[in-house]
Amino acid sequence: MKKKLISILMTAGMILSLAACGNDAGGQESSTGGDTGSTQQSETSSEASTSQESSTAPEADGEQVTLRMAWWGSQTRHDITVEVIEMYEKDHPNVKIEYEFFSFDDYFTKLKTLQASDQVWDIFQLGGNFPMYMDKICFMDEFIDSGIVDVSDIPEAYLQITQDIEGHQIGLSNGLNTYGIAYDVDMFNEAGVPLPTDNWTWDDYADAAMKIMEKTGHYGSSKFSDEFIAGCSTYIGQQGKVGEYGFFNLDLTGMGFDDPSMLEGYIQMRADLINAGASPDAGAEMEITNIENDFLVTGEAGMTWVAVNQFPTIYDICKAEGRTLALATLPRVSADGPSGAVIQSSQMLCVSQDSEHKEEAAAFISWFQNSVECNQVLQGERGIPVNNTVRDSLKANLTEGQQIMYDFVDLIGTFDVPEKVNVLSPDGQDQVVDKYRNYIQDVAAGNMTAADAAQKTYDDAAAIFNK
Amino acid sequence: MKSNAQAVRTSKVRKFIYSNNTVGHVFAAPFIFGFICFSLIPILTSFYYAFTDYSLGSKTSEIVGGRNFAMLLTDDIFLQSLGITLKYVFISVPLKLAFALFVAFLLTRKSRLVTLYRSLYYVPSLVGGSVAVALVWKQLFARKGLFNSVLSDAGFSTINWFGDTKLALWPLILMSVWQFGSSMIIFAAGLKEIPTSYYEAAEIDGANGFQKFFRITLPCLSPIVLYNLVMQTISAFMAFTQAFIITQGGPNNSTMMYSLYVYNQAFKYNNMGYACAMSWFMLVVMSVITLIIFKTSKMWVFSEAGE
Amino acid sequence: MSVKHKIQKVLYHLFVIIFGIIMIYPVFWMISGSFKDNAEILRGTLGLIPENLKISNYSTGWKGFSGITFATFFKNSFLITSVATLGTVISSSLVAYALSRVRFKGRKLWFTCMLATMMLPSQVIMIPSFLIWYNLGLSSTYVPLILPYFCGQAFFIYQMMQFMAGIPRELDEAATIDGCSKYSIYTHIIVPLLKPSIVTTIIIQFYWKWDDYMGPLLYLSKPQSYTASLAIKLFADSASTTDYGAMFAMSTLSLIPVFLIFLFFNRYLVEGIGTSGLKG
Repeated sequence: MKKKLISILMTAGMILSLAACGNDAGGQESSTGGDTGSTQQSETSSEASTSQESSTAPEADGEQVTLRMAWWGSQTRHDITVEVIEMYEKDHPNVKIEYEFFSFDDYFTKLKTLQASDQVWDIFQLGGNFPMYMDKICFMDEFIDSGIVDVSDIPEAYLQITQDIEGHQIGLSNGLNTYGIAYDVDMFNEAGVPLPTDNWTWDDYADAAMKIMEKTGHYGSSKFSDEFIAGCSTYIGQQGKVGEYGFFNLDLTGMGFDDPSMLEGYIQMRADLINAGASPDAGAEMEITNIENDFLVTGEAGMTWVAVNQFPTIYDICKAEGRTLALATLPRVSADGPSGAVIQSSQMLCVSQDSEHKEEAAAFISWFQNSVECNQVLQGERGIPVNNTVRDSLKANLTEGQQIMYDFVDLIGTFDVPEKVNVLSPDGQDQVVDKYRNYIQDVAAGNMTAADAAQKTYDDAAAIFNK
Repeated sequence: MKSNAQAVRTSKVRKFIYSNNTVGHVFAAPFIFGFICFSLIPILTSFYYAFTDYSLGSKTSEIVGGRNFAMLLTDDIFLQSLGITLKYVFISVPLKLAFALFVAFLLTRKSRLVTLYRSLYYVPSLVGGSVAVALVWKQLFARKGLFNSVLSDAGFSTINWFGDTKLALWPLILMSVWQFGSSMIIFAAGLKEIPTSYYEAAEIDGANGFQKFFRITLPCLSPIVLYNLVMQTISAFMAFTQAFIITQGGPNNSTMMYSLYVYNQAFKYNNMGYACAMSWFMLVVMSVITLIIFKTSKMWVFSEAGE
Repeated sequence: MSVKHKIQKVLYHLFVIIFGIIMIYPVFWMISGSFKDNAEILRGTLGLIPENLKISNYSTGWKGFSGITFATFFKNSFLITSVATLGTVISSSLVAYALSRVRFKGRKLWFTCMLATMMLPSQVIMIPSFLIWYNLGLSSTYVPLILPYFCGQAFFIYQMMQFMAGIPRELDEAATIDGCSKYSIYTHIIVPLLKPSIVTTIIIQFYWKWDDYMGPLLYLSKPQSYTASLAIKLFADSASTTDYGAMFAMSTLSLIPVFLIFLFFNRYLVEGIGTSGLKG
């Protein structure tokens, strides 16, 4: 009886592992398709997807085409996005767009299952964490060459923020973004701290935080929600000459600097601030669920780290309570050194490798980014639009908070930037990021020295490439 | 002659239909079908993945043998999460069961209001998984939350629940105990089954409340205690939502339950193979603990259905 | 009734009520949150009375997303939940009967399998399961959300087995002598005596399924087919602004059906036991 059972289980296991191998082979094929370049892509993938439908000529005019699209966001975003989808369907009677929307976390859980079953939506939204989905993204170069996607009104610099290091267009950005320090002007004045300048340093920042804490009893600086971007990507980029160092090297094959002690200064500073009570400890940080109840917004902190597209929201909340917020650049390692700031894409729309109607999908994305009529509805809710005409048309009626954000992004644009920046990050970075955060807490708790933390972070990151 | 043969055949058929083997398989058929189709294949797939470096991101996978399992033993965070999970299970399960039994017993009185009360006490379990309640829970234990304001009013110093790696697990344990509803109604249903004649007999013998509880209630209820114990132990091992929504494993991984770590490895860090290996390791741990419960149960469970 | 008895009774009720209110304070907080504005909720005040009553949370919440109101979401939830619950009750009681009352070959094996299904975290079998449904061509229908519930749910099978252990075997034997087959023992003896367990199953399975959002998230692909639990999650987007008021309002509404089911069946649970033949 037992033997029989074992043999049955083993056969089942074998059949299964064979099936699994079959699946994997399929997956590999399509991923190599993605690597070889964009010209042959549509052929390879339409071959692969014959099982679904046999309509292999989607180009034919007038033929009914159904596109699937998905995004994450809030109630407002869902409503306005659906509104523009309906506008598009009206103008293009042969296109039907089926849409799905989710909250941020759910979106990625769903995307991963679709990725596993090769049925990612034709048009999908991605943020900064897209390297994981690289083999599902169909580059847009071919559509730009053939004129389906119009980029004539988008500055080269803003196209680059969604290109990989070889210059392939991964998607079109929904909005520009960069990081800054939002601060409470009155609290600075009350503490007698000079307001930040465009080239203030991390020392100035730490001083300001300590003084605010001493004078007002509030936190000098709230949580750094992107501790890794601040202490690793930016901090390393600020050392040496412009573009000399990066946390990772440009082609993502190894580290972009050799000396782990370059990370130490930031770690020590953050740990000191936490220990002095000038910055929230882990328990207090946990009470911040999103930017709207950040300690800066609740009046319990003088500064906080923001992605600038969050600024208009918190500006409005504080204004309603009679407080004034302002936006400062990220502090630098030395006042005359590189700023380390980069203009990035908040999120983008991509065409899926699994799509059977890639051209129609690309055409929609082009309209979505370039149409003034469409963006009058969207109202820059996803960030500052990349298209010049669209941006100008929105600039006409900005709120105060939005105006500050637009000016800030313009200011960052005037800074010296490295010639080449890699917008991608290596697979495995998330684990390094989580560990880095814990090391800072460990240093603050006295379980570890800053030098150890720097060394460990360096080792964790380097280990990504030895896998 | 012919009819006789037919009779033999029909009686054979009858015998077949009514034999224990047939009846058993007929009744168990839904489970057997479902198990093979919807459980066995995913389970075996995950077993296969445990020996590969499968990741959802790249979708490529190579067989790496026991590497994932070897990695488990050197992974500090995993070892830490194992300890945290065991602590969570061993504290929350007994507390929850004791509490559920206490409330169920409290609500056995003959009163019309009891039904209403029971509904009242059940409400926490009904909202258990919701985001809203997780938010409330966080507020309760916040630095200026209800617990701390009660403490400071009483003259004690406040406690930084979520900031202290030694304390952060407690709010989660309490939340699990707070959702005692399903154990409670199972106990309640069990309590109702205890024949009142037992109590009447005990009263005649002059037994007091405590004696009645320990001599009659508990032994009669023991199969249900066993059931609740096994179920709550298993579900405590799998506890995910609270840690996921409230603490995200922090501070410093002090609430990193093993299922949350599995999720992180599978979905966030993109190491599905490693996540599967971890699950299988834990499956063994859980099986051992469940087995111990079953083996020892022979000593304290009074079942009328003895084998 | 003596005075002492009366005082005892009052004390009992007082204790139970006060204790109960403490227990459900967080739920009250959520309900009162549904009448507060976002700023007040985020400030985390622990009071239950809203500073300015904001009933509009209910109307903004109810209007749902892109023209699909919560009426649709609740309807979907109701359909899936009730069918799945029905399936669970029928299939689990059948399987439990086989495993606890019939001695057949493989009984121990299936019992072990059943326990094992509960021990693997859903996160790792989620993707393989999804792939199976996808290959069957059913991945964006209600089938994956319902069919498995007709194959018995381990948690409830085991619970029913535990209850059956309390049903005296003499009843079966007596019935056999009276000419009952194993089949009719199930329908005539086990099912009627299993009532409390069935009611418990209905209550628990109903709200589990009602609250479940991982299943709907993976298998539903049109906003028109979303369930209420999935729709409520749409309010809580960590990457942008969250309308807590509307979320609390819809969470509160979503509590009502579950609570009604509980109230209704809870009464039945007590009555069902009262009339069972177990007393003597």
